[in-house]
Amino acid sequence: MAAPSPTLTRPIASAGLARAARWLGPIGLLAGVYIACLLFPSLTDTFPAQWNLGMREAVDDFSRWVTSNRLSHPAFAYFFDPLSAALDAFVRAVENALLGAHWAVIIGVTALAGWLLGGWRLALVGALGFFACGLMGLWPQTMQTLALMNVSVFIALLIGIPLGVVCALSNRFDRFLRPILDAMQVMPAFVYLIPVVLFFGVARAPAIVATVIYAIPPAVRLTNLGIREVQPAAVEAARAFGSTRWQILRKVQLPLALPAIMAGVNQTIMMALGIVVIAAMVGAGGLGREVYLALQRLQVGRAFEAGLAIVLIAIILDRLSEGLSRIDLTQYSIRKTQDAGRKAQNVKRNPASYVLRHSSLIGALAIILVTALCVLAFQDAFPDAWRLPLREPVDGLVRWMRDNLFFITRPLSDFITLYLLNPFRDLLRDVIPWPVVIAAVAVVAYLVSGWRLALGCALGMFMLGLLGMWPQSMDTLSQVLVTTAITVLLALPVGILASQSDGVRRALRPVLDFLQTVPTFVFLVPVVMLFNIGRVPGIIASVLYAIPVGIRLVDLGIRQVSPEAVEAATAFGSTRAQTIVKVQLPLAKPAIVLSINQMIMMVLAMVVIAGMVGGAGLGLEAVIGLTRSETGIGISAGLCIVVLAMILDRITQAWAARQS
Amino acid sequence: MLVCTAVWKIFGPAPEKAYAAIAAEAATGKLAYPDHVIAVRDVSFEVRKGETFVVMGLSGSGKSTLVRCLTRLTEPTAGEILIEGQDVRRMNDEALRNLRRHKVSMVFQNFGLLPHWRVLDNVAYGLEVCGVDKRERHARAMQMIELVGLKGWEHKYPRQLSGGMQQRVGLARALAVNPDILLFDEPFSALDPLIRREMQDELLRLQSTLHKTSVFITHDFAEALKIGDRIAIMKDGRFVQVGAPQELVLQPKDDYVRAFVKDAPRAKVLTAGAIMQRSPSGSAPNGRTVAADVHLEALLPMLAESDVPLTVVRDGAPVGIVDRACVIRALIDEQAN
Ligand SMILES: Nc1ncnc2c1ncn2[C@@H]1O[C@H](COP(=O)(O)OP(=O)(O)O)[C@@H](O)[C@H]1O
Ligand SMILES: [Mg+2]
Repeated sequence: MAAPSPTLTRPIASAGLARAARWLGPIGLLAGVYIACLLFPSLTDTFPAQWNLGMREAVDDFSRWVTSNRLSHPAFAYFFDPLSAALDAFVRAVENALLGAHWAVIIGVTALAGWLLGGWRLALVGALGFFACGLMGLWPQTMQTLALMNVSVFIALLIGIPLGVVCALSNRFDRFLRPILDAMQVMPAFVYLIPVVLFFGVARAPAIVATVIYAIPPAVRLTNLGIREVQPAAVEAARAFGSTRWQILRKVQLPLALPAIMAGVNQTIMMALGIVVIAAMVGAGGLGREVYLALQRLQVGRAFEAGLAIVLIAIILDRLSEGLSRIDLTQYSIRKTQDAGRKAQNVKRNPASYVLRHSSLIGALAIILVTALCVLAFQDAFPDAWRLPLREPVDGLVRWMRDNLFFITRPLSDFITLYLLNPFRDLLRDVIPWPVVIAAVAVVAYLVSGWRLALGCALGMFMLGLLGMWPQSMDTLSQVLVTTAITVLLALPVGILASQSDGVRRALRPVLDFLQTVPTFVFLVPVVMLFNIGRVPGIIASVLYAIPVGIRLVDLGIRQVSPEAVEAATAFGSTRAQTIVKVQLPLAKPAIVLSINQMIMMVLAMVVIAGMVGGAGLGLEAVIGLTRSETGIGISAGLCIVVLAMILDRITQAWAARQS
Repeated sequence: MLVCTAVWKIFGPAPEKAYAAIAAEAATGKLAYPDHVIAVRDVSFEVRKGETFVVMGLSGSGKSTLVRCLTRLTEPTAGEILIEGQDVRRMNDEALRNLRRHKVSMVFQNFGLLPHWRVLDNVAYGLEVCGVDKRERHARAMQMIELVGLKGWEHKYPRQLSGGMQQRVGLARALAVNPDILLFDEPFSALDPLIRREMQDELLRLQSTLHKTSVFITHDFAEALKIGDRIAIMKDGRFVQVGAPQELVLQPKDDYVRAFVKDAPRAKVLTAGAIMQRSPSGSAPNGRTVAADVHLEALLPMLAESDVPLTVVRDGAPVGIVDRACVIRALIDEQAN
């Protein structure tokens, strides 16, 4: 090939220069900040203690005030206390009803609902799921959790669906509510658990309030979306015939939005189940409490059983409510008329067709019959004699792994701690002066977006110091970045592999499904057994939590690359590897960056949970705040987590936006 | 019956200001507000009782917007709309609802049926929102269903019906409230050509007995000729020309109209009265006559029989004569343009 002519290289060289200039400014800035830091070592070695918003003290004062005025102040006497009492009475009533009912009735009703909503498979899943909970000796706890779920979801829907309707009808209200919903979803549940406890005390009421806050957003969003997406033609026709706003809503929009609203119900249920264990920390009983206690006492088998019961409830409620969202009024009614047509055509007294036609009725009767027999044959409480002991084998397995796998786990743990976590944490926390860290984050923000984001991020980072949490924040930041790096390094190749082969994808699916439904806490127990208390189990649990979504998004991103581009590459004789590297990965880059964003956010969501097993930093502070009623510390730490989350979210979002 | 005067519709964030600016610029046509669209521009027309007024134009010319302005489904920016002497733009919500419930009904291009309701309930929709009780509205709906030839389908759901049948439901729904005025927004555009022709004939059949005052939107000139008593040609929000079908065919105002008229089936549109030679003096020698409103279609076979000119009579009095030459000239015009 001929040497490139000078006229061609010059623009390239100048482009290179321009790029260098783009880097030069930021590097100069960092150097400048560093030199300035050297000049004022007293100010910059550690974040100055006197620069403090005084947030912790203020919050503590407030919480002391609340504690001493609980009984006298009208806000409590006339609002929080009665509300709290009403919620408590509500859950207790449901709990007593569920616990008082014969176990076979509960199973029978679930099976019946499954049968009507989705056929025999769903009936079987429902019946076996609850039966298994009973077999593990967790019947009362399961009913307690179910009561908490039912009440929370009921309240969440009672508030969420009307709010969604209002959002759909008023753009202004929608704009007003949207950022609030965003904040509710980003904020770790712990952050608002603390004030909720302050206002509602401990036990059932705060658990309900926290669950409702956590679970409302999808109900609002999906109702809103569903109504807005109703065919405009139907709405316009209704308007043209002189319907009132209310008539349009009731006769047209709500019925046609029903599938979306039901999908919202499903999402609400799943969100609520996601925080049963967290709810247990403020005194809710049930399965969450089992997991929480087992975790504190490192009883793997017990945590596994309770965790499995939560997963079973999650599966049952998920499938049942998914069945609800399949109720499409238009489809359903068509089926009804077709049935009617078939009925008319059928020769009378044909027994086979009779059975077929009335199969749903016959199935329901069969379920009711079996339930009735069980009620007659057994006592109310789930029989003690029926036990499927999972606890011992699981404990045994973990003990065996601990004793025999330490040659892997020990070095792995040491490697992560000594070569990744410690140096990185020391670098951020101790070696680099804090102004340089802030400047560096700002520079990254500037490079991916612009000065606006840079300014916002710098202010956010400064906030961490002002809240008195600089060292803890840097500790957490180092853990989050290391965890994300590990997650991405694992998710990327697996995701690529899955995108290339349907076989791999199929094989991964149940594993990923399982990881996504298991409550995060349940990961922790075996991980802690294997890796001992410290930062590493938190990291491993976070990786397990974030990786399914990462793999799925990478897989999806690559699969969505236009088939024409891939076909063209193949037509020009690219090998498989060339196609991946030269076509699919570059084109999927925006999606992949977005998946990294998601992984970071999920890792951040685990910060507090990691704190519970000894992950130092903000998570630990938040746990201390919650469990020892150190409200000020807890809220400061929670706010810092939110700030970090926002900074990392915006930067990675901007980075993703740059790709496309 | 229906009178529109200088109706404007401007879409955008500040339509009032944009309108004021245009008025100030004395309608130079240029819009100083770049993010605004003038969908309807200074449109005036009148529809007489029992008449079918067709608005014809390419897609995006503002037809749907215009027809929606009539009952304020889209709020007009300026102008006056009178329905039976009442000023629609001055009506409050209540009065407007009553107008839509009792006086004016609409048929939509994409039907706008409620998918979760049976045909019967869909047809009864307009009665239901007025609060007519169930038995009565179902009885009335059944009559309408029979009228549009859907008997036996009343318990089906829209999804189970073909497009043509769905539009019959739309038509029945519009007729059920016994409105004085019917608005059609391209009702047959979504249908296959054969079905479309069938539906046009159906509509003509219904109109021959019902004589509803109608505004009919279409982008198909042949359809406009077939259905309209008078036709307005719309372009960029403006009416370019308004007139009876043969006026448009014989005297297209500009190239835009001429382009549509070119392929018009002249033999079906033109009448003896429109192409005759005026001869107030009297009749053709042999005494054969033809009425002035006879279409060329019917006139041609008569002239084919003999070379002798025919006398054209209107209201019993002779007004002119037609011969083969007249007809040939009228038909050749088609090629000339
Ligand atoms: N809601 C709207 N907002 C903004 N512009 C619109 C809106 N509806 C229609 N338009 C614009 O008005 C013009 C006329 O549209 P329309 O009345 O639908 O035309 P037609 O029915 O003749 O196809 C088009 O340029 C269209 O883009
Ligand atoms: Mg249109």
